[in-house]
Amino acid sequence: MGAHISVPMYQRSLPQRYRLVGLKCQKCGKINFPPKGTCKYCRASTEFIEVPLSGKGYVYTYTIIAGGGAPPEFTDQALIQGSYPVAIIQLEEGPRIMAQLVEVEREEIKIGLPVEAVFRRIYEEEGVIRYGYKFRPVVPPCKP
Amino acid sequence: MPEVAIIGAGQTPYGDFPLKGVKELFAEAYQEALASVDKGLDPNLIQALFLGSLSAGNGFQLGQLAPLLAGHVGLPDIPAVRVENACASGGFALLTAVQAIASGAYDLVMAAGVEKMRDVSSVQSKYWLGISGDTEYERLAGSTFAGIYAAMARRYMEEYGLKKEHLALVAVKNHRNGALNPKAQFRREITLETALKGVEVAYPFNIWDCCSTTDGAAVVIICNAKKAKDFTNRPVKIIGWGAGSDYLAIHDRDSLTSLKAVKNAAQTAYQMAGIKPQDIDFAEVHDCFTIAEILAYADLGFCQEGQAHRLLEEGVTSLEGRLPVNASGGLKAKGHPIGATGIGMACEIFHQLRGEAERKERQIRNGRTALSHNVGGSGGSATVFIYQREGE
Repeated sequence: MGAHISVPMYQRSLPQRYRLVGLKCQKCGKINFPPKGTCKYCRASTEFIEVPLSGKGYVYTYTIIAGGGAPPEFTDQALIQGSYPVAIIQLEEGPRIMAQLVEVEREEIKIGLPVEAVFRRIYEEEGVIRYGYKFRPVVPPCKP
Repeated sequence: MPEVAIIGAGQTPYGDFPLKGVKELFAEAYQEALASVDKGLDPNLIQALFLGSLSAGNGFQLGQLAPLLAGHVGLPDIPAVRVENACASGGFALLTAVQAIASGAYDLVMAAGVEKMRDVSSVQSKYWLGISGDTEYERLAGSTFAGIYAAMARRYMEEYGLKKEHLALVAVKNHRNGALNPKAQFRREITLETALKGVEVAYPFNIWDCCSTTDGAAVVIICNAKKAKDFTNRPVKIIGWGAGSDYLAIHDRDSLTSLKAVKNAAQTAYQMAGIKPQDIDFAEVHDCFTIAEILAYADLGFCQEGQAHRLLEEGVTSLEGRLPVNASGGLKAKGHPIGATGIGMACEIFHQLRGEAERKERQIRNGRTALSHNVGGSGGSATVFIYQREGE
């Protein structure tokens, strides 16, 4: 199927996809992610400063997309994995975002699971590999 | 403000019609609507067409679909426009038509909807149907509409103790109703066991939690209520209407167990009609996925938030219950030809309120006031209409 997120369109969102850059409202101080033209919280300000988010949060809700039900651009991934989890992540800075979960068994996924952002391959379109954020369970630090 | 009445309504059967395109489907619904006007209607009195359609069949006619179809049925001169809000395209076409009458700008207009979905390959349809959400931030997470509603269902389970069985009860009820509707796409009952065991689509949904793709068209003819008696002694008034919108992406919304667009639309409609949810005798609601009907119960005021699954357990919304919901079979069993859906609901209610259901087993008795509820995508937009027949 033809492209629906063109390369230039994807490029414009690279700060969000590569570095989770949110917009902090200069009036109410809350963070908008993805970016909004007018702050979604105070609905009054259009003045923002860019702030990278920590990528820390927890699973707010989730689904498991079955192989047969995946969008065409994710068919390859679905074929290899059989199915893949998609979650809404509650980020610690306030916003929620939708993203795939990785490095996790189906049985481990539950609402409230602490997760962190990782930089991963999303899909390929127009011959260009698209990278962006996915989330994995928080890995406890290695003990010496 | 002039009152608005429906004087005629028609729809094609919903299903799989390889020999009919959008023109033929629209013409069939239009002719049935004309024929349903008790005292007859001179088509020259129709002043405008408001047509709901998402894509006419994978976008083969990207622009000017409404003038194309008007011309096909001998109305090439009237203003005709396509109205689009994904799965609520029909509802918003009806809203535009109703407002056109209520504003006094027109006396008699047509609201219609059409979709040709079965011509489209499954790859194409997954492409088309997945891009009415927030494409950049939902679709690129690898999600689908089923996945988005499934995530809402999973959250509802967490917050309110909803079980997979409750989702299945919606499918069983609506298939039972669809079995009685000669115009439904799926006219067979399913057991609870079947509904629980389908192929997984997006956990917690299996195939029985999801509506199908459908060909179909629907037309309603509405007019200034003062003139309705020229055409029929049994008009059905639209006594209240409302619409709402919300963030397209569900991650931008505060609640995932309620659709704010629906709540706002319902509140506006009830207020205009001067009635309460308890006054509704039956309803057609947007059950694109089983959870959507469950969300609708509380959003429309039929129960408290989080209590919807109790209504299903108690059979309140079954055909014999106190408040039948989706007597037509709903999107689940009647089918969901996207642009036609919101208009098809108005057709069902028009005929039910006039005691004209095709089979007496599915005729709702003593219904006087009814409601229809049409949702765009996962709740990015919604319309609610309240209908009433005359008499007690």
